[in-house]
Amino acid sequence: MPSWLNRSQLVLVAALLAAGLAQFFSNHLDSYVLSVAMGVGINIVLASSLNLINGFTGQFSLGHAGFMAVGAYTSAVLTGKLAAQLNPIFGGHVYLLFPFALVVGGLVAAVAGGLVGAPSLRLKGDYLAIVTLGFGEIIKVIFQNVEYVGGAKGLNAIPDYSNLFWVFGTTAITVYTVWALLNSTYGRGFLAVADDEISAEAMGLNTTRYKMVAFVVGAFFAGIAGGLFAHLNNYINPSGFDFNKSIEIVVMVILGGMGRHTGVILSAILLTVLTELLRQFGDYRMVIYSLLLIVLMILRPQGLMVWPFKNPLWFYLKAYWPFRMLARRPTS
Amino acid sequence: MSATGLQLNKVTIRFGGLTAVSEVSATVRPGELAGLIGPNGAGKTTVFNLITGVYSPTEGAIEFAGRAITGLRPFEITARGIARTFQNIRLFGSLTVFDNVRVAFHLHLRQGPGQSLSRGPTFHHEERELTERTRELLEIFKLDRVRDEPARSLPYGDQRRLEIVRALATQPELLLLDEPAAGMNPAEKVELMKLIQFIQERYKLAILLVEHDMKVVMGICQRIHVLEYGRKIAEGTPAQVRENPAVIAAYLGYDPENGPTK
Repeated sequence: MPSWLNRSQLVLVAALLAAGLAQFFSNHLDSYVLSVAMGVGINIVLASSLNLINGFTGQFSLGHAGFMAVGAYTSAVLTGKLAAQLNPIFGGHVYLLFPFALVVGGLVAAVAGGLVGAPSLRLKGDYLAIVTLGFGEIIKVIFQNVEYVGGAKGLNAIPDYSNLFWVFGTTAITVYTVWALLNSTYGRGFLAVADDEISAEAMGLNTTRYKMVAFVVGAFFAGIAGGLFAHLNNYINPSGFDFNKSIEIVVMVILGGMGRHTGVILSAILLTVLTELLRQFGDYRMVIYSLLLIVLMILRPQGLMVWPFKNPLWFYLKAYWPFRMLARRPTS
Repeated sequence: MSATGLQLNKVTIRFGGLTAVSEVSATVRPGELAGLIGPNGAGKTTVFNLITGVYSPTEGAIEFAGRAITGLRPFEITARGIARTFQNIRLFGSLTVFDNVRVAFHLHLRQGPGQSLSRGPTFHHEERELTERTRELLEIFKLDRVRDEPARSLPYGDQRRLEIVRALATQPELLLLDEPAAGMNPAEKVELMKLIQFIQERYKLAILLVEHDMKVVMGICQRIHVLEYGRKIAEGTPAQVRENPAVIAAYLGYDPENGPTK
């Protein structure tokens, strides 16, 4: 194991390689299965990044779809309308242009996150929820009225650059980022802010800064997820990023158990696949979906997947061969 | 800390028409164990909230170590070296005992979000060092056996102790304890008095203590400030305060069961 990579980063690199491999073999897969798989990945990115804000830092945001929209529109404009100007810079290589567009989309969303967060993070609980909800609606209305991006008709003919590698690569990076950010002495501060803001301040934590970091990082990944979404569906319109979309992501976080890494990932997978499976029921789809949510919340109010044992999964796995190599401490 | 310690100069705070604290002046010298007493509603906790920046005084100024701290935010005041505990325990309930203390090292961290992501050698070095220091603190205060329990699952006395340990982890020069003996039985109170004296000696701290229990206050405090209806009515050694007629009238004289503690 190279000394400059520690265990968690090794897992990240492995995940990126796996995403690459999956892409390499993806032409054998049915295109419907592919698009559902990518939908799952995008939803994991959205749910994990919202989990950082809502779950770990305890700030109830309902504006995630708004940040997603900012990222989606920004990246779609970069790969569409501005592609002619950008292509000479990247020598016409899509595998350079697309990540550039995604990252810029994420950055613009992060800036939006900062702009919304700065005034509104003084508010708590329901009040913050309402302000972020309002922000999401404002974003939607802005895009509806900007003719450059198609207004209410939306943007179409977005190139289909999203593939398994980009989607699952982003998923891996998002999950790693949220995990790594939380698993440090600095990161425990997010949880402290969620638990008790007054005593967090009294212990010397700048709670405003923590909330801003969570908000900006969360918005960044929501923006990237938006970019992936746009280049998967080839079409975006403002009403696709409305209040309902935000709620959908919030439901994933709540169902997964606020502030749980694995649970939220699992619930993102479950809910995405579930909506696809329920398509056959036509008009009854949302009824069944809602009923299932109610049943799940009654049965597992603490979250879908709360590990029932004392030690983390890793503790039990590391005794076995393929994991033993990872468990070894770096020799440096 | 410079020789000045904590100084309150005619601090007043009004909430609408109510003057909760009125022109209170007081000094806590470096290394001193001072007490702040007064009947219920006298404004003791409000004084704490003023010192720690939860409230800003309407009038007057607060100085610590020769610098004004009036109007600073709570975390900035903690950074200047004033840590506190709360009357109604405010631990990070869902965090483990270990993490509660670890988080409080925040002010002395070299890492930030960037290092949490890159996880380089300096990051690991710091994490190991903090783990060691946290373990040490927990051991001194006999909380090492529950280090992986969530803080909210601890028994009451341990929670109080953990709050003090957490405050110590910020490496303060002045420690404010808000009714640390509340809800404790007599044996626990004796234990607590020893603990407070131990902390003061070991960490060379000044301590300001709000407490209702006269045995505790009279037993350990070197100087006592007395509040009544937001005004300071007396100051002095335990012996002086005990003899002070204003204090007896305001406070001890009204205690129907024990009478004046003498």
